[in-house]
Amino acid sequence: MKSIQKFAWTCTGILVFFLGFSVYLFAQDRPHYTDPEIASIAVTANQIDVNYADIALEKSEDPAIRRFAQTMKDDHNAVIKMAVDLAEKLGVTPADNAFTRELLAGEKEMTDKLNDASGKDFDKIYIDNEVAYHDAVIGAVKTILIPETENEELKNLLIKVSPTLQAHLDHALMVQKEFQ
Amino acid sequence: MKNSRTVSIRNIKWGCLFLGMSLWITGCTEKKTPVKHTVVIEEMEYHPAEITIHPGDTIEFVNQDIVDHDVTEKDHQWASPVLKNGDVWQMIPKQSEDYYCSIHVIMKGCIRLEK
Repeated sequence: MKSIQKFAWTCTGILVFFLGFSVYLFAQDRPHYTDPEIASIAVTANQIDVNYADIALEKSEDPAIRRFAQTMKDDHNAVIKMAVDLAEKLGVTPADNAFTRELLAGEKEMTDKLNDASGKDFDKIYIDNEVAYHDAVIGAVKTILIPETENEELKNLLIKVSPTLQAHLDHALMVQKEFQ
Repeated sequence: MKNSRTVSIRNIKWGCLFLGMSLWITGCTEKKTPVKHTVVIEEMEYHPAEITIHPGDTIEFVNQDIVDHDVTEKDHQWASPVLKNGDVWQMIPKQSEDYYCSIHVIMKGCIRLEK
């Protein structure tokens, strides 16, 4: 009986050790961002979607795509204004960082694809990207930006924006069905 | 004595009949006082998304969201102007209506008119 108890305690000890070690490794891997960096990520991510919308409004003739693009342009511009106003109020200067640079590199690649496409091909590339982009941004906001933000007002802004991003994703998925 | 009792019973009967008819007429013609209901637009939803009202009631839509919205009847019979944050728009529905936001087409709501 005692040997069984000893075995159980040993197993528990090993499990706790590996669990703790995994948490430690996860904490080491997870990137850390300051509030000025998060402000930069928020503004850049919104601006990129405004830029995609501008291309769609210039190139697409599909009413559903144009309506969606106009909504993206108006909503993301509204969010940028809120983020910039808040950064000014808090005296925060958005700071460039690895995440922002990664976003901009992705934008360049997608902009080239959009510029090379036309007609229905363009519409499909645009709306597919809107689905993937919003999905990725929602994930980043939930798992990185909100937990990393220290300032309460900036954190609240990110929380407030989340339902809008989710509605954009749902809207994009709805439009995407027409291009399957 | 008998005559006066007969008269008073007859008066009571007429009185009851008059009272009954008055109550019946009042019941039939009684109208509920119009009420103002509020639908708050927040976090990309109408709250409440389904609302039950009575004839003459007013619904006010208040946009408390961070982006613009509107209230558009599903077949475009009527629509509010674009509502910015803080804007209020009122209507008195004449019938049950289904509506949505023409800016964010996934947002939907309905009004049930109970007569």
